[in-house]
Amino acid sequence: MAAHPGRRPLGPRLRRHVWAWALFAIMIVIAVVMLYPFWYMADNAFRSPGQFDRQSGHSLAGWSELFANLPVASQMLNSTLVCAAAIAIILVVSTSSGFAFAKLRFRGSGTVFLLVVSALMVPLQSIIIPEYVNLAKLGLTNSYAGAVLVYAALGTPFATFLMATYYRGISDELIEAAIIDGLGYERTFLRIALPLSLPAIATVTVLQFIQIWDDLLVGLLFLPPGQRTITAGLATLSAGRTTSIPALMAGSLISAVPAIVVYLIFQRHLVKGLTLGMGR
Amino acid sequence: MIAAARSRSSRLAARRRRAGILLSLPAVALVVALLGVPIGQAVYYSMTIWNGITATWVGPSAYASTFTDPIFWRVLENNALLLLAVPFAIGIPLVIAALLNEHVRGWRFFRSVYFLPTAISWVVIGMFALRFFSATGVLNQVLAHFGLGPSATDMLAGETSALAALAITFVWSMIGTNTMIFLTGMATLDPTLIEAARVDGLSRWQIFFRVQLPLLTRFVQFAFVITVISAFSALFSLIFVMTGGGPGFGTTTLEFFVYQTGFQQVQFGTGALYGIILFVIMALVGLVQLRLIRPSDGEGW
Amino acid sequence: MSRIELDSVTKRFPDGTTAVRALDLRVGDGELLVLVGPSGCGKTTALRMIAGLEAVTSGTISIDGVVVNDVEPRHRDIAMVFQSYALYPHLSVYENMAFSLRYRGARKSEIQARVAEAARILELEPYLRRKPRELSGGQRQRVAMGRAIVRQPRAFLMDEPLSNLDAKLRVQMRAEIAQLQRSLGTTTVYVTHDQTEAMTLGTRVAVLSGGVLQQVAPPTELYRRPANLFVAGFIGSPPMNLIDARLERGDGGPLVVFGPHRLRVPPSVLAGHSGLDRYLGEPVVVGIRPEHLADAALAGAPPAGPAGGPAPGGPAAGESVIELPISLREELGSEVHLHATIGAAAHAGAAGDGDDVRSLATIVARADPRSRIAEGTIARLVVDAAELHFFDPATGASIRDG
Repeated sequence: MAAHPGRRPLGPRLRRHVWAWALFAIMIVIAVVMLYPFWYMADNAFRSPGQFDRQSGHSLAGWSELFANLPVASQMLNSTLVCAAAIAIILVVSTSSGFAFAKLRFRGSGTVFLLVVSALMVPLQSIIIPEYVNLAKLGLTNSYAGAVLVYAALGTPFATFLMATYYRGISDELIEAAIIDGLGYERTFLRIALPLSLPAIATVTVLQFIQIWDDLLVGLLFLPPGQRTITAGLATLSAGRTTSIPALMAGSLISAVPAIVVYLIFQRHLVKGLTLGMGR
Repeated sequence: MIAAARSRSSRLAARRRRAGILLSLPAVALVVALLGVPIGQAVYYSMTIWNGITATWVGPSAYASTFTDPIFWRVLENNALLLLAVPFAIGIPLVIAALLNEHVRGWRFFRSVYFLPTAISWVVIGMFALRFFSATGVLNQVLAHFGLGPSATDMLAGETSALAALAITFVWSMIGTNTMIFLTGMATLDPTLIEAARVDGLSRWQIFFRVQLPLLTRFVQFAFVITVISAFSALFSLIFVMTGGGPGFGTTTLEFFVYQTGFQQVQFGTGALYGIILFVIMALVGLVQLRLIRPSDGEGW
Repeated sequence: MSRIELDSVTKRFPDGTTAVRALDLRVGDGELLVLVGPSGCGKTTALRMIAGLEAVTSGTISIDGVVVNDVEPRHRDIAMVFQSYALYPHLSVYENMAFSLRYRGARKSEIQARVAEAARILELEPYLRRKPRELSGGQRQRVAMGRAIVRQPRAFLMDEPLSNLDAKLRVQMRAEIAQLQRSLGTTTVYVTHDQTEAMTLGTRVAVLSGGVLQQVAPPTELYRRPANLFVAGFIGSPPMNLIDARLERGDGGPLVVFGPHRLRVPPSVLAGHSGLDRYLGEPVVVGIRPEHLADAALAGAPPAGPAGGPAPGGPAAGESVIELPISLREELGSEVHLHATIGAAAHAGAAGDGDDVRSLATIVARADPRSRIAEGTIARLVVDAAELHFFDPATGASIRDG
């Protein structure tokens, strides 16, 4: 790309230099494309509607309108609680079953494993109507419980697959050593396998946190309006009560912050989750 | 191997079996109760007229009438058109990953930036895209700046252009995930292969197309499946925020149609039916994935 | 301190393969028994059955006279050292060694004392707080040993414990294990595929092939009196030369004839192998250890004979010397290996599996480094005929007494 065809070749050093700078420039352009939306949100969140129309001047008007129309703090708390509860369930069931499928195979366990993992392919929309009716009949859509259960069920197949893949990488001899040392299989799981799988647990946690925090559909349907998550709250806000773009930009920004922070801290684990997800 | 089954099970083997069943039970119960049972119910209710309380049996003819419904085909057409975005959602990240893999100065920073969309909710992305494509939005300002002002239109107002806007937003959103997949794939390549190719006198582009790309086939397939699945079943939030399915049925995809039919028009039976059709399509994609990934290496999943 | 007994133990896997076939073994109190054989011979499966990790298909395993077939590993009171060491990566050296005792309800002071003692013996004291990944291979191996020692179990089971170490360290650790086992006096079953390791470590060595026990004997016995072709070929390096030959009647006694060569069988050998009588005029497989072939020029003038070692009642003139073309000369410093082409078929396909050196049409002599025999020349080699081995070509069994 940096070379000039037809001309005498540049000196190899100069050529490498030109290539490096051209590449750097391209990277910057892509970075701008990826970051622009965030800059736009940040820029326009600090405006009043009038300032937005003129595209000049900044103020906190957008924020005050956001807080007036959306219970931001309580919805952030809702998101946090729902995430925490769902992730807790996912971790408990996926670590134990992942260990069982990887190291305690019993007759038919391969089939059961395949069944659990293939539930990955079930799109939420395909089951959402009966799911909604079932949970509403059980009265679980009046609290966090319904949404937590649905999120937990949706996250379990992939988490189980990930944990099983991870546990398969632990040597059988290690498990046998614990058995000879006098532990039962359940305690071997708790004392040996579980502590060793902390990296995979971190990966599952990060993946699920981002997934659940960012979800709209379940939050919209399975939570009573007073207990909505921030993402669902923001979406309904945009569909109704306010047309103030600065307020919506402010809401977008603040709702995205936790997931971005988690992403920036645990980026490594996300990538690893992907690698594990491909079956190594 | 502790995994080997026993011809005559010892007490230890019996213990292991018991522990295995015990430990896998919670996950199985959760998945069966909340994903397995509803899919069965959905099949049943798809053949009824159902308002959530009473269901009247219609039978398989419910499907027949759906397949003669022009709106249903309009919706499926939207899905098909969205698939045209898939090559872009794969090609662009592939190039970006190849550039990142050159490891120029600051590549770690760029990597973090490029992966960022993976962390952002589609609601937030839609929120921005709505302003970006609107008549007074950023896109038209940029076009005006380059003297293309008169062509300025609200992309979200026309049926076709709204779908295009949705597709563009979708491609942008997939950049993070797919770049991550390809970069991970490139990291698995043996660097001595590339050195060998260089010694053999191949150019940068030849190395990319003749050496790296063929070795990345598995990752391209994986990204392809992820992207298709997303196109079919992850755009709800984007549509909800950007267009609400409109104008008309211009941006209503099958998954959004399920929501509209079920929860806005309270036709649970028909909504369930659309859900089943979506499920069948996804299952076919899943089968393609198994066929694609299995042969490429024995240990695949 | 205890005895382990295997009675006609068989292991068949669900896929139909029989890993161990009717194995009878007695491991005496305080003994170090080595199970040796090529990979896939069933030695590890046998060890795992003793540990209780593998179920027994038929037969019985008993420890101190009590049948333990249905006893879980944790109640067998045995400790195992794994090939990969299987150290818990998230626990420190101290915790690794203390782990089992803790779960067996030992008192804290007791645990501390035992771990301290093991650490002292194994010179692990400076490393007690480290994690396994911060240790060298040899240190990890010691921790694995330490974990077994602190248990003070009835027996140690070791599954190729040295195979992950480099050659030099392996020799050193081999000596340490031997010393440790002797000083503790704990009954030990040790599995290895390395015959040198087996010979140097074992009180007795059990050779397995294809799931079948070939011979159990002290190392010297195994070397000097291999029970069959498999053991003869497996034990010793370079391996014994095995040649298809005929036993014929000569003037001064029987002759071993292969190709153009003839060796007289000395009366002392005949006396020790009375079974040989029945093979006169019949084919036999004759075995010659490399060290029993020597350069005739160094062994003294040909007629006068004893070579390589004392040969009581030395062979008659001429018949102990064979002339062979030398195809390769390997210098090892302390000795020289001479590869010679023989004008006869090397023995192929013994009773066991016939996949190794035996089928080569060359024989190897381990000669004195001062020998000046060069490649491409015809060499005169003295055979120490008193050390000949004879096997039945059909059964592979050693021919000894009638």
